[in-house]
Amino acid sequence: MAGAKEIRGKIASVKNTQKITKAMEMVAASKMRKAQDRMHAARPYAQKIRNVISHLAHANPEYKHPYMVAREEENTIGVIVVSTDRGLCGGLNANLFRLMLRKFKEWEAEGKQVQLCVIGSKASGFFGSIGAKIVGQVTHIGDEPSLETLLGTIMVMLNAFKEGDVDKVYMVSNEFVNSMTQTPNLKQLIPTEPAESDDYSHHWDYLYEPDAEEVLEQLLTRYIESQVYTGVVENISCEMAARMVAMKSASDNAGKLIDELELVYNKARQAAITQELSEIVAGAAAV
Amino acid sequence: MSSGKIVQIIGAVVDVEFPSDAIPKIYDALKVEGEGIETTLEVQQQIGDGVVRTIALGSTDGLKRGLNVSNTGEAISIPVGTKTLGRIMNVLGDPIDEVGPIETDEKMVIHRDAPKFTELSPSTELLETGVKVIDLVIPFAKGGKIGLFGGAGVGKTVNMMELINNIATQHSGLSVFAGVGERTREGNDFYYEMQEAGGVNVEKFEESKVSMVYGQMNEPPGNRLRVALTGLTLAEKFRDEGRDVLLFIDNIYRFTLAGVECSALLGRMPSAVGYQPTLAEEMGKLQERITSTKTGSITSIQAVYVPADDLTDPSPATTFAHLDSTVVLSRQIAELGLYPAIDPLDSTSRQLDPLVVGQEHYDIARSVQNTLQRYKELRDIIAILGMDELSEEDKLVVARARKIQRFLTQPYFVAKVFTGQDGEFVPLKETLRGFKGIIEGEYDDIPEQAFMFVGTIDQALEKAKSM
Repeated sequence: MAGAKEIRGKIASVKNTQKITKAMEMVAASKMRKAQDRMHAARPYAQKIRNVISHLAHANPEYKHPYMVAREEENTIGVIVVSTDRGLCGGLNANLFRLMLRKFKEWEAEGKQVQLCVIGSKASGFFGSIGAKIVGQVTHIGDEPSLETLLGTIMVMLNAFKEGDVDKVYMVSNEFVNSMTQTPNLKQLIPTEPAESDDYSHHWDYLYEPDAEEVLEQLLTRYIESQVYTGVVENISCEMAARMVAMKSASDNAGKLIDELELVYNKARQAAITQELSEIVAGAAAV
Repeated sequence: MSSGKIVQIIGAVVDVEFPSDAIPKIYDALKVEGEGIETTLEVQQQIGDGVVRTIALGSTDGLKRGLNVSNTGEAISIPVGTKTLGRIMNVLGDPIDEVGPIETDEKMVIHRDAPKFTELSPSTELLETGVKVIDLVIPFAKGGKIGLFGGAGVGKTVNMMELINNIATQHSGLSVFAGVGERTREGNDFYYEMQEAGGVNVEKFEESKVSMVYGQMNEPPGNRLRVALTGLTLAEKFRDEGRDVLLFIDNIYRFTLAGVECSALLGRMPSAVGYQPTLAEEMGKLQERITSTKTGSITSIQAVYVPADDLTDPSPATTFAHLDSTVVLSRQIAELGLYPAIDPLDSTSRQLDPLVVGQEHYDIARSVQNTLQRYKELRDIIAILGMDELSEEDKLVVARARKIQRFLTQPYFVAKVFTGQDGEFVPLKETLRGFKGIIEGEYDDIPEQAFMFVGTIDQALEKAKSM
């Protein structure tokens, strides 16, 4: 029965793979719920601070903070790239990187340089391999990231902006549409852009104490931190959802493969039996 | 000459009784004469009491017990030498192209011993075929033995015809074509194609370069069992005259099959998979004679049918051992629409050795195989997890492997009627340059479709521009 043993071995190996992908699917499903809770919990604060910033942007104060003013020459672009730490989550990271590569080309055509701060080991690995300039990175942020772990990279970007090394800062991360769909999204952080959908039927100006410069410096830093944090938390939700879907289809594919292999195996088995029988019968008849 | 009488007829096996003092020898040819019947029998066994068991080389229709049989006293001998060029003969050496008898006194017996090993001469000179995949991973040697293995309908005959077109028509020496148990139509097509190509000259036979021997599907098992020997004897004669001969045999498996058909009737017990117990001996006797000696060379190209696509079947497995180069045609590749459907991983050649083909050729061929092998391993992962889960290097390997797979295809001259595309003869240098470029990533930005059915890499680049 030549080949039958190999087929059996292959079936066993695919079955093991299927067990792993099934387990990963279930783990991802339960983690997704928690990650979504965290994402929802982060939203009210982010929403509120964005409102405040929008009002600020629409007001006409005597003092304009550098984060709120677009520079005339934009030679260098800073991007905070949010990715996952682990793979096996379908095309989530690949789509994000593809978007980045497209943007890189556009910027390159405009003669702009790019500096990156990467969050997550996938982005660190990918952009390291294509030779992009990475100025800061943080990996292994875990499923429940704390703001402190992210602060370092954010500060690197903010300092670079202050010192004039970068003239514009973007953040790219995945947006959680629903558990089946996640889309990569490039967001401008500095200079701050007011959210367009908010209702500005009335707006007001603030009184600053002790002075506008000190308050705005603190406030805008908090704002950017919260934007990055929500981005990271949302990206983790996306990761879990994408992994759940990817592992589900992987389990299905493995099931299909097993079915096909079993068909081949049964055929081989039956052929061997038939052949042996016919040999015995023919041999007996010839004697 | 002594004569005897038929005592039993079972299909192609005929028992004849002779007087006990004049029993024919094994392999003696016997002639049945009378009542408008003329059939030749070949003695296989002596079964006692003056009775010999024979195989009929020809139809046994109309034979009956008691018919007179005379012993010719020698084995079947056929006309050989230059007079056979441009002619078609059958297993007995009789012309079947209806242009008169073959006028020659040179005759040779079809049963002979293989040359002694002191007479053999190894050859390492390469034979360029113009087929990319063959030149790259399965280089042929002059005087070597080449097998084309394939299941039903994957293109054994088309590949053989392309090789005949590329090698034999360019070749200055002589060729012998033995049609063993294949379609009569194909034999007929070959004859007329050879006339067009100049291999057969019906006006001046002495200018022809090819001799043909046919024992096709319609003939009884005895003919198919012996016709390979007839063709081989022709080639041996040319070789012993000091020439370089090309011998094409289509299809060795039919020879085995004819052996199966006779074996049980001869009273032998079937062996594994129902084959004759003497399978290895029969194959060895034939294959050992197809060899190059110090006087001349025989380069043989044999098509080998693989039953049920199972290469471990006893018949192809027995044939494997005798060959220098094995070209394996794969159904999986044919199903992908990639022609020629030659499997670059299963096919092997003794000539793929840095000492024979050179270090550069060897390295390119091995890295092509490595890339394809890696792609094969990754295919399961891709099937389960999808392309996105592969690392960047693996994605590159897959992309290059797919380009290699496509660049291994090429249009055939003989397939022009099917594809409407002119054939391509690709020189070895061009083949190596193209594959080297793909392996080294020079063409990573060219779409893989551009590599489909082109000759040289320049044509692929040209095609990419128009896409």
